Amino acid sequence: MSDRDTPVEETPLPAKVEEVPATNARDLGLKWLGSRARALTLSEGNLFLLLAIIIGLFSGMAVVCFRIAIEWVRLGLLGSALAPPRLRVLLAPTAAGLVVAFLVQKFFRGARGSGVNQTKAAVYVFDGYVPFRTVIGKFLTCSIAIGSGQSLGPEDPSLQMGAGIASALGRRLKLSRDKLRLLAPVGAAAGLAAAFNAPISAVLFVIEEVIGTWSASALGAIVLAAVSSAVVMRSFLGGEPMFRVPAYTLAHPAELIAYAVLGVVSGVLSLVFTQIIVYFRPKLRALPDWTNYFQPAAAGLLIGLVGLRIPQSMGTGYPYIDQALHSQYTWQILAILGFAKILTTSLSFVSGTPGGMFAPTLFIGAMIGGAIGGLEHQFFPQVSASVAPFALVGMGTFFAGFMRVPITSVFMVVETTGSYSIVLPVMISNTIAYLISRKYQDMTLFDILAKQDDLELPSMEEQREQIVLRVEDAFRKPDFPPLQAGDTLARALEIAETSTEEVFLVRFPTGRWADIARKDLPAMALAHPKETHLREILTSARLPILHPDQRLDDALRFIQGHALLPVVGRAGSRKLEGVLSLPDILAAYQKAS
Amino acid sequence: MLILSAILLALLFAITAALARSYHSREQGLAAEWLQQGNTDLRAGKPTRAFEDFRNSLLYDPENPDVQLHLAEALLADGRFTEARSYLLNLWDRAPGSGQINLDLAHASMNTGEVDQAIRYFHGAIFGSWEKDPAIQRRNVRLELCEFLLSHRMTGEAQAEIAGLAGDTPAEDGELREENGRLFSRAGDPAKALSEFEAALHGNPRQGQWLAEAGQAAFDAGDFLKAETYFSGADRQKPSDEIHVSLLLVRDVLSNDPYMPGLSDDEQASRTVRDFKRGLERLRDCTGTGTSSSLSGSSSSSSSSSGPPISELENLRKEAQELQKRVNLFSVGKNPEMRDEAMGILSRIEESTSSGCGPVTSIDQALKMIEKRHQGNNP
Repeated sequence: MSDRDTPVEETPLPAKVEEVPATNARDLGLKWLGSRARALTLSEGNLFLLLAIIIGLFSGMAVVCFRIAIEWVRLGLLGSALAPPRLRVLLAPTAAGLVVAFLVQKFFRGARGSGVNQTKAAVYVFDGYVPFRTVIGKFLTCSIAIGSGQSLGPEDPSLQMGAGIASALGRRLKLSRDKLRLLAPVGAAAGLAAAFNAPISAVLFVIEEVIGTWSASALGAIVLAAVSSAVVMRSFLGGEPMFRVPAYTLAHPAELIAYAVLGVVSGVLSLVFTQIIVYFRPKLRALPDWTNYFQPAAAGLLIGLVGLRIPQSMGTGYPYIDQALHSQYTWQILAILGFAKILTTSLSFVSGTPGGMFAPTLFIGAMIGGAIGGLEHQFFPQVSASVAPFALVGMGTFFAGFMRVPITSVFMVVETTGSYSIVLPVMISNTIAYLISRKYQDMTLFDILAKQDDLELPSMEEQREQIVLRVEDAFRKPDFPPLQAGDTLARALEIAETSTEEVFLVRFPTGRWADIARKDLPAMALAHPKETHLREILTSARLPILHPDQRLDDALRFIQGHALLPVVGRAGSRKLEGVLSLPDILAAYQKAS
Repeated sequence: MLILSAILLALLFAITAALARSYHSREQGLAAEWLQQGNTDLRAGKPTRAFEDFRNSLLYDPENPDVQLHLAEALLADGRFTEARSYLLNLWDRAPGSGQINLDLAHASMNTGEVDQAIRYFHGAIFGSWEKDPAIQRRNVRLELCEFLLSHRMTGEAQAEIAGLAGDTPAEDGELREENGRLFSRAGDPAKALSEFEAALHGNPRQGQWLAEAGQAAFDAGDFLKAETYFSGADRQKPSDEIHVSLLLVRDVLSNDPYMPGLSDDEQASRTVRDFKRGLERLRDCTGTGTSSSLSGSSSSSSSSSGPPISELENLRKEAQELQKRVNLFSVGKNPEMRDEAMGILSRIEESTSSGCGPVTSIDQALKMIEKRHQGNNP
């Protein structure tokens, strides 16, 4: 309908509007707009979730650029073939080592190392602060180092870059300190999800290794960030799983024995790998500061020398994992590749070259797994399947033993391969490797590295293993049954005479509890007749109640201002299981320590 | 702040998109380059280098099924069957109906000794989809399967496959019919082989080779009349010693076989007596020439270096001489059992004297064949 056709004259205007002065009408309009704007204003919680999505988008794109940068550098320095020319193999990591060391020493000191501990330090030490300079430094130095063939991966740096981006956005928005602390893990999950194309594993890793708890407030944001980041990555670089694996079926339950053996070997080798790093890293760090300019180059030269014979041991090694998953190597070759990678990765990492440990760990695991599978197949062909499923399981198993993140490792194998059928052997093998690693080495690698860096970061593993004291560990049985609301004041006085308790609990038929202090009884007796029912005196009093399974930490919060609290069963709040006082709680803590 | 974030996001998105586009384009270029190089190397008979090339190509286009297939084929050509199989299984998961993937898997399984798997994949290839010339591809796969089955002495399965092959062969295509016939012959089904050769000859009745093959199939099927016809034709169209010998043999069979349908009783008896005498002469020649010294000596149980044991020949001779007293035109004509008994002894004589008793003549071969055929018909 055109304007001309509009029956303007016939449109009735509201009488009130005609009557009010123009200024009032404007005020009303402004008021209305104000109310709409208030409705659109986000609460801090919702803003945090929106921010998580934005962090995911930023991190996803940053990681995409990062991965492309690594590939450009690789193409430029090593060429497009899987087996690069010999001269480049020798020169590229050496020269890149010099450049990277210069950049780290002069401009980006925070870029050194893997990135997981830096993110933890941001959460627990620096109130969620990750300098944006570190993000840039990580991007530049890791691109050069990994692209040149240093035996490191892009995942841990991506994690730190995500945390850095999140921290920068949080600072811009002037979020509270608590929220800022929470943002770093949110960004870390986003970065890792994009780097691995594995959002579930990223979420689990951040929970298992960075924040350590399944906090509902953090989980929502972490999941949103990881998902949005993975979506961005997939839209730019494709949604295929990282590895293409042949179909696998468990032919016979006896195969699981073979996988258990793999778990044992991987567990032991992960200990060896950890010990190499833990031993040599402080030795190199103790060298004079000027050597830091040359350590990555020296490592690069040694890696190049190894790479002349074993080019597979350079770089991330992902294409070679794929080959191992397609049974392209004999078990002897796989074993050599696994040990060569332990050597080259140790060189890269202890020299302080920026880069991550995830990819090399997967490589070593795949090769060792394949070697064990091939060896078992040779001697027990009826028990062991082909090499490929062992390589696949080996990836997760070594990761579980080395990183000590058993749940993440299971999901990582499933997500990076898109194969769910392998999950049973992975679970068995990973658990064994994890338990062996735990038994023979008290602290996780990340915790040891933090200690070497003079950082006292909380150990997530220790937190998980901590014995939680509960109310049932501290409460005691009362000397007398509780008073009833229907009892008289005389009855209360009578019990007070025979008891040593200073406080008496009173139970109401509704499940409410109250208390009477011994010292208050004389005053009550003066104020009320002795036949007065207690319910008439304690009209508004209400005690918090505790349950036996509640954490003692929670009980501490409730007991403030009360001498004694009732402990009741969850099945019925009228049945008194026991009583708990502050001295009881302290005694329980003392006993536990 | 949200607006600033949105602007920054848009900017970063544009940069990322540009970078990703440029990277993907470079990747595609490299993938194509290495693929081409691989094909060149594979054609040049350098499967190891081709494998490396395809692997490089796969680095930049990991999901490209063509490159994966090429890589697997390079591995097959390089004799790395287990690795090839692993890649092919991956491809098969995505395209279980692909004829080429099934065929490659069949080759991998053949070479790793997994016969059942190989047959399964051959069938997958036969009933699978082919981009170019599906009918020809399927026929070639079936031919290969037949060869595979025959090489593993699985004649029953081979016959079923050849029957399928014959069913799909156009009636007018003589060459394919002839190919079917040859396979039937090798699978031990001369009757069906003859039928295929005859179908081939229908369009080209003067093809010498096909005539010879039809003659041989007819001969193996026991149809000596047809065999004579086809061998005669072959002898005219494409004369050779081999065909001529076969022709003579067929003619000897035809002229000496007392079991030939349509013969009168007298003719049957005449042939039986003649054949028996011929056998006796053969036995006499053998014992008289090759073993005369031994026969008179004490070591009667010893044998000549390449011939039958002397005692056996001596016993046979005595048995035959005994029978000779009863074998005549009258007795054989009246009593068919006498004919069978005479021909039975004759068969044993021909069998025993087939080695170490001088050259076997066409007539000896014919006699042996007649009895063998008769025994086959009357077990």
